[in-house]
Amino acid sequence: MTSDSAGRTSSNLEPMLRATDVAKRYGGVRALRGVDFEIRAGEVHGLVGENGAGKSTLIKVLAGAETPDTGTVTVDGKTLRLGDTQASLAAGISTVYQEPHLFGELTVAENIFVGRELTTRGRVRWAEQREQVAQLLEQIGLDPNLARRNVADLPVGEQQLISIAKAFATEVKILILDEPSAILADRDIDTLFEVVRRMRASGVGVIYISHRLDELGQITDRITVMRDGSVVTTRPTHELNPRKIAELMVGHELERLSVERKTVSEEVVLDIHGLAAGKSMKDVSLQLRKGEILGVYGLIGSGTSDLARAMFGIVPSTAGEIKVNGTTAVLRSPADAAAAGFAMVPGNRKSEGVFLNKSLAFNISASHLRYFSKAGLAFDAKRERATTLELMKKLRVKAPAPETRIGALSGGNQQKVVMARQLVESPSVLILEEPTQGVDVGAKDEIHRLVLELAAEGTSSVVISTDLEEIRTLSDRIIVLHQGRVGHEFPGDTSTAALLAAASGATDVDADADRAIPAPRITEGES
Amino acid sequence: MSTSTVPGNLQPAKQGPSSDGFGSRVLRRVLTDRVTLLAILIVALLVAFSALSAADRLNAPFNVSYLSTSLMSLVPVALLALAQMFVIMSGRSGIDLSVGGMVSLAAMLFGWLVGPQQWPVITAVVITLIAAMLMGLLNGYLVSYLGFPPLIATLASSYVFGSMAMLANDRAPFADERIAATNALTRRIELFGDVAVPAHVFTVLLPCILIAWLALAKSRWGKSLYAVGTNDVAAKYATQPVKATRASAYVAAGLLSGVAAIVNVAQFASARPDAGTAGNGMALPAITIAVLGGVAIAGGLGRVGGTALAALLITWLNAAILISFQGSMGPRVQLLALGLVLLGAVLLNSYANRRYGLAE
Amino acid sequence: MSTVTQEKAPRPVPRLRRTPIIEGQEAVLIAVLVIVGVLLAVFTDTFMTSANIQTVLYTVAPIAIIGVGMTAVMVTAGIDVSVGSQMAIAMVVVGKLLRDTDLGWFPALVVAVVVGSILGIINGLLIVVGRIHPMIITFGTLNVYRYVALQIFGDQQVSGVPDDLGFIGGSVQAVTFGIPNALLLAMALMVIMWAYMRQWAGGRHLYAIGGDPGAARLTGIQVNRKLISVYVLIGVLVGIASLVQVGSGGLIQQNVGIGLELQVIAACVIGGTSVLGGRGTVFGTLLGALLVGTVSSAVTHLGWPNELTNLFVGIFIIVAVGIDLVRQKRRTKL
Repeated sequence: MTSDSAGRTSSNLEPMLRATDVAKRYGGVRALRGVDFEIRAGEVHGLVGENGAGKSTLIKVLAGAETPDTGTVTVDGKTLRLGDTQASLAAGISTVYQEPHLFGELTVAENIFVGRELTTRGRVRWAEQREQVAQLLEQIGLDPNLARRNVADLPVGEQQLISIAKAFATEVKILILDEPSAILADRDIDTLFEVVRRMRASGVGVIYISHRLDELGQITDRITVMRDGSVVTTRPTHELNPRKIAELMVGHELERLSVERKTVSEEVVLDIHGLAAGKSMKDVSLQLRKGEILGVYGLIGSGTSDLARAMFGIVPSTAGEIKVNGTTAVLRSPADAAAAGFAMVPGNRKSEGVFLNKSLAFNISASHLRYFSKAGLAFDAKRERATTLELMKKLRVKAPAPETRIGALSGGNQQKVVMARQLVESPSVLILEEPTQGVDVGAKDEIHRLVLELAAEGTSSVVISTDLEEIRTLSDRIIVLHQGRVGHEFPGDTSTAALLAAASGATDVDADADRAIPAPRITEGES
Repeated sequence: MSTSTVPGNLQPAKQGPSSDGFGSRVLRRVLTDRVTLLAILIVALLVAFSALSAADRLNAPFNVSYLSTSLMSLVPVALLALAQMFVIMSGRSGIDLSVGGMVSLAAMLFGWLVGPQQWPVITAVVITLIAAMLMGLLNGYLVSYLGFPPLIATLASSYVFGSMAMLANDRAPFADERIAATNALTRRIELFGDVAVPAHVFTVLLPCILIAWLALAKSRWGKSLYAVGTNDVAAKYATQPVKATRASAYVAAGLLSGVAAIVNVAQFASARPDAGTAGNGMALPAITIAVLGGVAIAGGLGRVGGTALAALLITWLNAAILISFQGSMGPRVQLLALGLVLLGAVLLNSYANRRYGLAE
Repeated sequence: MSTVTQEKAPRPVPRLRRTPIIEGQEAVLIAVLVIVGVLLAVFTDTFMTSANIQTVLYTVAPIAIIGVGMTAVMVTAGIDVSVGSQMAIAMVVVGKLLRDTDLGWFPALVVAVVVGSILGIINGLLIVVGRIHPMIITFGTLNVYRYVALQIFGDQQVSGVPDDLGFIGGSVQAVTFGIPNALLLAMALMVIMWAYMRQWAGGRHLYAIGGDPGAARLTGIQVNRKLISVYVLIGVLVGIASLVQVGSGGLIQQNVGIGLELQVIAACVIGGTSVLGGRGTVFGTLLGALLVGTVSSAVTHLGWPNELTNLFVGIFIIVAVGIDLVRQKRRTKL
């Protein structure tokens, strides 16, 4: 933590970037209502808010990807030309977006230099570019040989780190990280933090957007909370803790999560033995009892996503057996899996979950067309509507009507609809992959509560998540995958540290041994 | 994108720029509901040209009799527009350039079965439709199961079907009395006065439109097609048979092309090897009409009513142009109109989507 | 923290060779061309004559020239199906000017280039402003441009065009080292474009735009300007190709250029360019054009019906794209 104090001392109280009275409307929606925001050299500045609070719009304005309706931005006292990505880049503002924005058919070296190639009369100086990129990669702890490889050939986690390297390669004064940890496993996050601390130490101002509130305490110096297009407050990190931040974001006191649950029954619903599938899952066995919530944790590439997809018939299994309620299930397609009693909330809501320009009713019935059909042929729209209304009520989906387009809802409400879809035909096993990724705090709480309620009613769930807090909140038991195998099995209240250690391959992890080490908390002592 | 444009709590786009005033509500209706817009355009066309006709500015009278006769050319155009609608809706840049080739090849097959082979017409119809579905299945298989880009797959298959049709009878058409007798299918039915509507508007086109509407709007298959066209990955996670559904859209296009082929043979009383590929071909007008009818190129959006009305609009527009110009000017201006209407329709779709946030 | 670096460092990465100049599909195409050539030399005695080879190469030239532009367009994930109508306009304008005025070849070139670039700018602007798939836009302009061409034709074809452009035409005189000048021109344009797309930053950006236009915009690439420029480029190249077509003059018919877009797209696709963007080389396109030209000539020389050419082209497209798809699939599996 020495870099922390180094960063702190180089901190300068004069803001390097200052945005004043920035406002932006999209049609009738006021995304930003006159926001003031500043960042100093050598600070890591957390930016938090629920979905739709205006964070993304604000950073898009800073990056020049959106033109605000009013307001000014100055960098080092000079006024920035707004709505021009080149001007922002020239002013030293560099942005790393949530999904890696890289070009698959170009090499890593080309990707890092794209848009500002080293050229002689337009012609690219390949050798020089590759050399510089190799050095850069080495500097942040990646393999320098990556420079020559096509990005399409790299795993997603590595691509994310490449896109941060890309920002690092410019003459960056202000680095904007938009949920950099969202798709990283916890251990890659350590690499990320190291890079961020190095940048702070060299005087860069870092804007760090995250939904993982515990992270903010570890990495930021100050935090700005946004709500409904306005800044609620900007405060030093040590004056805040996750609970307080969450309350500021939502605007009211959060209730503690508590659901009455019976003890899990002994009846085994799902029995997986020696399952292998996809690129990374080699040998996984697990059992799930009725009404139980099983957490599955693992780093990227450990086989967690293959496990979810094999259970749902997306990825064919190459070995092993899946038994549901005692009968062996052959899963060649999601339809097979649904017939066997599985339902799945996929990890990427936008690409795998929702039909954006379709109605809520459509989104809910999409998995159950046979169920909603008369004679298996004619679609029953009345029944679809009734079921939709019922589920909207049960899941507290905030929307005017079943006919509302799902694209008009917030991320959290969209996710609830995707959840609702899974409940139409009461599955015996619910697979939840990253169920609250990119969802605001309020909705996250509600989704967690729903999963617990379902378990209380007897639905068994497998929760696959890279959010350790989520796994620990929900799970009765947790298994940790490592290199495609079950590394360890833990009770639900296992410490974060034990899970992390097991995920990185430690062999003799005792669930209780390091319970003394607390989960990351935001306290003054931390810095 | 993930967070910014979604309002904090739901403000449906409805309450956006057009929440106030009667005028803006009408505008919204016209821009977002294609059937309304097309109905208005058809009425406008009829009124304008009736006025021109009354002022004696046209080469022939623009009256009910003329309009009903011109429905002859509506049938193939509407059938193929429905074919394109299914395919474009199936998503992943769906398009079928081979409808012309399929019409030609199916027409030659039908002519061969009825003429030289002397088969009963009913049997020939069934065999031809099955063959046309198989042609569609080839497209569907290439696109859906093998992952060919639709543009390329159907470009290649249109070459294949088109040249096979040409080779079938060494570039010559099939024509004899038995084939000529099928012309009865397209005879005109006198309704009243001198108004005569081609019979196959009732016997072929309307049933096809009805079936297409039932299939798309009222059946399980239609829902599945909407889901696959909107987001095929999500459809897969929603347990839809994505590949089979998408391939079936191409099969449907094949079937409709087969119907168009039979109509074409009946109409011309001969099976011509260039039935679907003569001139600029049939694919382009069909695509134009589908897009004008509100089918989104991105997939997942489209309605039978819109497509059918768009076909009617284009048919009557062409008929109106034909009697407005002398000699070769007519067909030439039809080309211009088709191009401008296509451009206008896509620009309008794009504008409406952006203004009312219908698509992403 | 140390565990992180420990795991990261020793990942073995295969050392890659320099990107080869000839890639897989191109090697296959060369092999196919050679085999077809040998077969024709054995089974006919009219194919392997220098006059016939020159005819084939001359017919290939316009397709190859437009193919250079089409490759660039397709690499950006676009397409231009209006090239046939563009060519009709350029040819009728140039033909009429050559016949009715004392124009000379250089002004003719200027006129063709200007006409082509205006048509290209219209396409480019509509695509960028409308944010609509280029295929649909250019389908629209295909009709509109054909109308314009027919208007300029008036009601008759253009006949009696002088041979001012004969030096890039199809005659036996317009040949250097046994290769038609028209094809040499095509090859020169190809080399320039190849170097640009391979070595120049601006050329690499085309691949970036085809890969992910949104991301390209964020890195500061002027995506819209770049997109318009490739449609202008293909318009200019259509202008140049129409000079080759006018060539030694004579007759220009009203149906000129119909179906040209399909031949050009076929050449690109057979040459390994992906319609989904991000992939393709002009060299492959030349080979694709040569293959289509050779097969067309072969069909004639074997005394087969002409329609067989289209059948073969269709099958070639399916095979070429099929091979590419299999290769892509294998690559993602690795």
